[in-house]
Amino acid sequence: MSLAAEAFVSQIAGCRGPERTISRIKQSAEPWPENATLYQPLREDQILLSDCASSLAVQAYLRMCNLPVHVSCRSNAEYMSPSGKVPFVHVGNQVVSELGPIVQFTKAKGHSLSDGLDDVQRAEMKAYMELVNNMLLTAELYIQWCDDTTATEISRPRYSSPYSWPLNQILAYQKQWEVRRKMNAIGWAGKSLEQVYEDVSQCCQALSQRLGTQPYFFNKQPTELDALVFGHLFTILTTRLTSDELGEKIKSYSNLLAFCRRIEQSYFEDSQAGSSSRGYSKGPSLF
Amino acid sequence: MAAPSQMATSQLYCWEGDWDLPSVDNECLIVLAYAKFAGAPLKLHKIGNPWRSPTGSLPALKTRKNGSLSQPSDIIIHLRKQKYNADFDLSAKEEADTLAFISLLEEKLMPALVYTRWIDPKNYVEVTRRWHAKHAPFPLNFFLPGSIQRQQLERLRLVRGDEELTAGEELELYCDAMECMNLLSQRPSPLDSFVFGYLHLKSLDNLSHFCSNILALYFPSEGREGFSRKVSSQPEGGDADNEPGKRRKQLLSVLVALGAMLSYALLTGIVAIQHVKQEALDHRSPGLTSLSSNEEEDEEGRG
Repeated sequence: MSLAAEAFVSQIAGCRGPERTISRIKQSAEPWPENATLYQPLREDQILLSDCASSLAVQAYLRMCNLPVHVSCRSNAEYMSPSGKVPFVHVGNQVVSELGPIVQFTKAKGHSLSDGLDDVQRAEMKAYMELVNNMLLTAELYIQWCDDTTATEISRPRYSSPYSWPLNQILAYQKQWEVRRKMNAIGWAGKSLEQVYEDVSQCCQALSQRLGTQPYFFNKQPTELDALVFGHLFTILTTRLTSDELGEKIKSYSNLLAFCRRIEQSYFEDSQAGSSSRGYSKGPSLF
Repeated sequence: MAAPSQMATSQLYCWEGDWDLPSVDNECLIVLAYAKFAGAPLKLHKIGNPWRSPTGSLPALKTRKNGSLSQPSDIIIHLRKQKYNADFDLSAKEEADTLAFISLLEEKLMPALVYTRWIDPKNYVEVTRRWHAKHAPFPLNFFLPGSIQRQQLERLRLVRGDEELTAGEELELYCDAMECMNLLSQRPSPLDSFVFGYLHLKSLDNLSHFCSNILALYFPSEGREGFSRKVSSQPEGGDADNEPGKRRKQLLSVLVALGAMLSYALLTGIVAIQHVKQEALDHRSPGLTSLSSNEEEDEEGRG
């Protein structure tokens, strides 16, 4: 098997396997339909910080590409998703979940935000997206599920709110166990909450340094990196948790705040009040 | 300055070195290389038994005040905070880029390397398990490699988000790793310690020259001849020049195993010898023929 892998890999570069390439080529011929739908958990009662951030990132990306999508909230969105993660989009007869695959999917249809980047910039963009996933997303998961106060007061009740007893208890504890197992495997289980906040601070510092005084990360035009960063930062800023420390870490970087405001005004002005456009002053929560 | 006195008592625990490398483990190499670049005075412990480390895993940094750290990125961040900074002459943007590329490496390259060392059956049995069993004390050597393999498999599954790591998945891992290395090779990067740690396996030519330079410059006592030749069958399309010895050994071991199984099968009559084949066997090994035909008669009598 290793010999076969060697031969195969030496012939392809950066491809994701033959089957997916073929299906992408078939799909690329069809235009983006009007009835594309994005599925996420229930907004008011069920969705948690990390899922909300991921969903907002995908919505921001699709708006930046000018692709219409209708947001539908379902309590079993996580189970409907092909990879078990939300959000996922239903486009034509394809179902694609998570930002990475969705970006590739739209690229196959001819819509891309990163075409104008050269190789070096593309490498940087990928690296920063990994940074956000590695640090911000993992920190969000940690705070939601590994911090006992937050898990008891917020995460478990919200996650299992659509279900009745005893299913709600079982599902909530199962999810918590899964996330803690993942934290264990990647070495975050031994971290204290303070260390996690410190990591978030490091990540924000790196993002702030990279952004500098530019409007977007790659100067004039937004890319998927901007969508991802916006999704996470905006959600953290507008979510009330047991402590404000996470939001405070981000607020200490004024260029990141301005960045979030800019994207909100440019791409989310037209949406209804209270849906995705939330004011900073009243600090709406996910309660 | 407070920094030197604090650092003087910090202790770094790493896997031992072999095959001309200061350490056999990627993460230990990263930390060692960074400490060398930054000139941090650490007391180094090279061990073959992870239970002797303060955190139970390697690499581990035991500091005076902040307890013990085990993730390589945490260790490097700690060293940087202590003013042992291998990249203090970088601009703020470049420092930010460093952090981002470290995440990229951990996400895309690490799974492929973990797979190659611990999950790929040939490599695991031939190289990794043998090395660990040899270097761990009795009775740890019996179950330590297996337990580390289970841990790594679990980690790989959870990081990749796949519940089943089937044979087809390894191609995706290698694709990701190839993409990652292509991205890296375009950047003039100050990520030297991380890149070195992950690329002690021969891969792209320019990066491999870079690694041999680093080894010669910073780790002269570990040997002059370049890299680990035994560590893996190179999935990233490395050259086969340093492979023939390993291939030959594999071929030999496979032949020996086949020969043993075949002769056992023949001797116990599991495999029935036809008359057609009898002639072929006559030419090769008359002794075997007579023995097998005797056994055949016995089998017929018994069966």
